[in-house]
Amino acid sequence: MSSKPGRANRLESAVSICLLAVLFLIALGMLIKQSCTDMSRFGIEAATMPEFEIPLDLGSLVPAGFEILSKTETYDSENLYEKINGKAAFYLDSGFKKLFTQRFANKDDSNLWMELFVYDMDNIANAFSVYSTQKRPDVEMLSFAYPRFHYKTGNSLYFVHGQYYVEVVGSSESTKLLSAMVDIAQKISSALAADADTRTLEVKMALFPKENIVPGSIRLYLESAFAFEGLTDTFAADYRCGDQTVTAFLSKRANAKEARMIAESYYQFLIDNGGVEKTIPLAGKYPGKMIDIDGATEIILAIGPFVAGIHEAESYECAIEVASLLSSKLVDESTAVIK
Amino acid sequence: MNEQTNKNLGRRQFLSRATKAGISIAAAGTLSYRLYDATGPKTGVDAESLVALQNFSVPYKAGHTMSIVTGADRVKTVRKAIELLGGIERFVKPGETVAIKPNVAFASPPILGATTWPELVAEVVRLCYSPGGAKKVYVADNPINDPASCFTLSGIAKAARIVGAKVVLPRARSFKHITLAGAKLIKNWPIFYEPLENVDKLIGIAPIKDHHRAGASMTMKNWYGFLGGRRNIFHQDINTIIAELAMMVRPTLVILDGTEVMMTNGPTGGSVSDLKRTNTLIASCDQVAADSYGCTLLDLKPSDLPYLAKAEKAGAGTTDYESLKPIIATVS
Repeated sequence: MSSKPGRANRLESAVSICLLAVLFLIALGMLIKQSCTDMSRFGIEAATMPEFEIPLDLGSLVPAGFEILSKTETYDSENLYEKINGKAAFYLDSGFKKLFTQRFANKDDSNLWMELFVYDMDNIANAFSVYSTQKRPDVEMLSFAYPRFHYKTGNSLYFVHGQYYVEVVGSSESTKLLSAMVDIAQKISSALAADADTRTLEVKMALFPKENIVPGSIRLYLESAFAFEGLTDTFAADYRCGDQTVTAFLSKRANAKEARMIAESYYQFLIDNGGVEKTIPLAGKYPGKMIDIDGATEIILAIGPFVAGIHEAESYECAIEVASLLSSKLVDESTAVIK
Repeated sequence: MNEQTNKNLGRRQFLSRATKAGISIAAAGTLSYRLYDATGPKTGVDAESLVALQNFSVPYKAGHTMSIVTGADRVKTVRKAIELLGGIERFVKPGETVAIKPNVAFASPPILGATTWPELVAEVVRLCYSPGGAKKVYVADNPINDPASCFTLSGIAKAARIVGAKVVLPRARSFKHITLAGAKLIKNWPIFYEPLENVDKLIGIAPIKDHHRAGASMTMKNWYGFLGGRRNIFHQDINTIIAELAMMVRPTLVILDGTEVMMTNGPTGGSVSDLKRTNTLIASCDQVAADSYGCTLLDLKPSDLPYLAKAEKAGAGTTDYESLKPIIATVS
C-alpha cells in the first residue's frame, strides 16, 4: 500500500487521470462548438437549412412521368426570406410556421418542371387567409372536390388543405404539368387528414347569404381589414348587383357588446377619414350606419355578436340590397345563437 | 513512526511539488491568456480593409440620358434603346471589361417575370462584345436562393454563357466590406465585390415587379443583389436601403424591362396571371429617372415610392424624368 516518497499513489494517479480526462473533454467540446459557429451572423454565409419533421415525404409525391429535380428544402421563420425574400413578411404576419419545397421535372422534357411549396400556417384560418388574399382574379376551379379550396392559373395550382397552404408553380403553361399538379394535390389531400378543419371553416363562410354571391370570392383578413386595425378575423365576399360588384364583410366577435364597440370604432375611423354619415335606413329594422366616403358607400352593422357591412360600394342602392340580405341572414344566425 | 515519516512530505519534496504546480498553473494561465479572444467573432473588418466602389458612370450627354422604347421583342427594344442613347460604343470602350447585374434573385422559371429575361441579358452581352467592344463580360448576382439553382433555372446562366459571358457565382472570398459615406445602413457591410473589383463598366438589367415591402422592385432595388450577410434585416427600413444602394452604385447604364410587368404578388409572383404586358423597355444613365418612369407601368406615381425621393435628395438622380427629355421610339 505504501508508495515511495515523492511518487503519487494509485488513488492520486486515478484522480489525476480523471481530471485530465475531464479537461480533455471540455477542450474537445469547445473545439467542436467553435467549428459549428453560425457565420451567417457575422459574414456572408447563408443560414443553414433547419431540420425538422416534414408532415409527409415530398419526394413520394412525384407524379407519373416525372422525377425529383432537387432535394427537399425546409425553411422556418428565421430563413424564410432566403426563399421568398420581400414576401416573407406577409407569411410571417399570418402565422407562418414552416415551409417545405420540392422540385419535380418531366422525364422526357427537362424544360417542363415545377416547384411545390407547402406552407405550414399553423391552422386552417391562417392558411385560408394567405390563400384567399393572394387569390388571382378570373381563375379557374377544377372538377375535384378535395382539396376543397383551390384554383388554377395558366401555369400554377393553389390550394388549402388543413393548416397547409400549397402552391405548385410550373415552368410553363402545359397540360402535362397541370395534370401532374392535380396528381400532387390529390396525393396531399389523401395523405393528410383535414376534413374537420375544412368543415369548421365552411360553417363560418356559410354565414354569407348565397344569393348573388360571386363563387370563390370569400377571403379572410386576419388583421386590419380595409386598413382599420379593429377589424380582425374578418371575412369578405363579393356579390353581383346588376353590372356592379359589391363587397360584403362580417366578423364574429366574442359577444354583442364587443361587436357594437368595434362597429362604432370603425364608423368613427371612416368619419375621421372624410366620411359623411347618410341617414338612409336599412329596411328600418337593423342597427346600422351608412357612410359616404369619396363617393363610395360603406355600411356598418352590429347584429348580435357580428360586425358586418358593405365596403366601398359604387351605388348605395346596391349597398343596401346586399346589406339587407346579409343582415337578414345574420339576424337568423344570432337568434339561433341566443336560442 | 517510520511509516508516518514516509507518508509525510519532506521540506524538499514539498518545495519541489509546489514549484511544479506553480509552473503548471502559470503555463496554463499564460496559454489561456494568449488564446483568449475578448472581442469574439468580428462582425465587420477594420476600417483600413474596407473597399470602395468606383464610379462606373459615363460623361453626361445632353438629351441622351434616357430612352423609352415600346415593342414586344426585348432584343429589338434593347438594341433600339441603347442606340438612341448613342450606341453601345458610348458605354463600352474597346478592350474594357464589363459587369452585368441582372436580377437572378429566385430559382424560378423566366415566364414568372421574377427574374431578368434571359434573352435580354444575352443581347446586352452581345452588344458589349460588338466589334471593337468589350474584352470580357461578366454576369453576376448574389441571389436570395441557392445561386447555382437560380442561375440555372432562370435560364440566365445558359443564355449568358452561349454568348461568351462569364457567370460569376458568389463564394466566401467574393465578398468585401464597404462603408458608404453618410449612410445609415451600409456601414462595414459585406458586398459581392469580386465581379466589380477589376471591371471598367457596370450595367444593371432589371424587370419591373410589384414588391410586398418596397412597393416596387426595379433598377435601384436590383443592387440589393450585391449585398451579402443577413441582408433581410434591411427590409425593416427598405426605403433607406434602396436609396443607399443607389448612392453606393453609380452604374454605366441601367435597363429596365417593362415588356411584362409583375403587377401583383411580388417579388416572387408564381403565376403568369400576375403579369401584365406593357411592351416597354427603358434604358437610362439615371437610375432614379428610370425607376420613376417604370413605376408608372405598375400604376404607381413616383411619390408612392418613398425611396425615389430619398435617392433624389441624396443626389443619385432625378424623379422628374421628363426633365431629361427621354427619347421615345417604337419598334415593330
